[in-house]
Amino acid sequence: MRSSRHVVRADFERYLGGDALSLRRACSAVLRYPGLQALLVYRFGRMLIAGKGRPWCWPLLPLAALLYLLAAAIVRACYGIRLFQSAQIGAGCSILHFGGIEIANCRLGDDCSIAQGTRIGSRSDARGPTVGDRVWIGAQARLLGPVSIGDGATIGPGSRVISAVPKRALVLGNPARIVFPGFDNSPIQPRG
Amino acid sequence: MSQTGSTTLAGNLGPASPLPSPKLQNAGLGALPRQIRADCRFYVALRHPSGCGALRGLLTCLCSRGLLVLAAHRLSHYYYVSRPRRSRTPSTIALRLLILVGRTLAIVLAKSDIYHATVIDEGVHLSDDGQLMIGPQRIGRGTIIHDRVTIGVKAGGGVITPSVGENVWIGSDCVIYGDITIGDGATILPETVLSMNVPARAVVAGNPARIIAREFDNASLRHSLATAVAETQFRQPCAPPVT
Repeated sequence: MRSSRHVVRADFERYLGGDALSLRRACSAVLRYPGLQALLVYRFGRMLIAGKGRPWCWPLLPLAALLYLLAAAIVRACYGIRLFQSAQIGAGCSILHFGGIEIANCRLGDDCSIAQGTRIGSRSDARGPTVGDRVWIGAQARLLGPVSIGDGATIGPGSRVISAVPKRALVLGNPARIVFPGFDNSPIQPRG
Repeated sequence: MSQTGSTTLAGNLGPASPLPSPKLQNAGLGALPRQIRADCRFYVALRHPSGCGALRGLLTCLCSRGLLVLAAHRLSHYYYVSRPRRSRTPSTIALRLLILVGRTLAIVLAKSDIYHATVIDEGVHLSDDGQLMIGPQRIGRGTIIHDRVTIGVKAGGGVITPSVGENVWIGSDCVIYGDITIGDGATILPETVLSMNVPARAVVAGNPARIIAREFDNASLRHSLATAVAETQFRQPCAPPVT
């Protein structure tokens, strides 16, 4: 389990591509990418949940929770990105664009990239999908229900995934079918 | 802002695509009011197919988020195509501020973003419900684009985005990507994932997309904004489950 500082650092490095992390670049990335703003608010919420177990930060928690709720509401209203705390998002996640993204009740591995209009997991069903590392998820994809996605898989745009996807497979269509079993998605991963 | 070189994949607005030919390039600032007026007229005709008064038409236009997105795009397209980037005159700075405000409003109110190099002919309708993430090379006049539509480059497949013809009807939840051309008068039914060329006046549906009819006249669909017509007319049987 990595500390939240390392997780946030990995997020920034993903958005900055190959550039070294500096304060100026970090600020401009936050201003530029709505996905990064949403992700930072989500990470802040994770920190609050971790803070419940540490008695020395109890006095700060009510104010911080209020701040978190406000920030999450702003992100939801302005960009349409909804990251619920019931989801576990791994380090170095990259959210491309904005609008209609909903992630709840699921586990996401490290270095995933998520495009706009994607829905992962449903708010009502606690048994959500389990997604591996370095998975690339295209626009308007739907991953609902308890499916498992292997490491390095590629979910094509508009796919409706209803069954398990093996490692490094490319799936497309409704319902999603495996089109290419050994697909290397590292060239299409956006940054970093 | 992220106007320059975004990587988008089926959903990313292409990186700086080759500049459109001079014929396609929209004229200067003088053409903006004419284009926006044509957009407003088209929008009012769609919202009120049986006609309405001038005041009601004006109010309809002022409340439309789709028109806001379109107007913001036209301004930024004019700026990025025909102005030197590095100029620091007061008028340029004012224009850039205006573009920033317009684009931010489009993002916040309509969750929409249009790639600045896209050439959009006058008289195009974009949905008010937004969530459009579109960056084709060109959109022809009379085209209607419904909400939650993505038009972008194919991931890892080069920088060429689709080119949309005239009088095309694009339903909601569509994803259109790759180096493809959509012919004039084509109809793309809701929830289509399209990555192939579409001939003129064809109807495509499904995921992956198939041509389900040819020589279809979509004038009745483009008469108003009701999408129910499309769904009843071309209802597809569900694809058989894979075993």
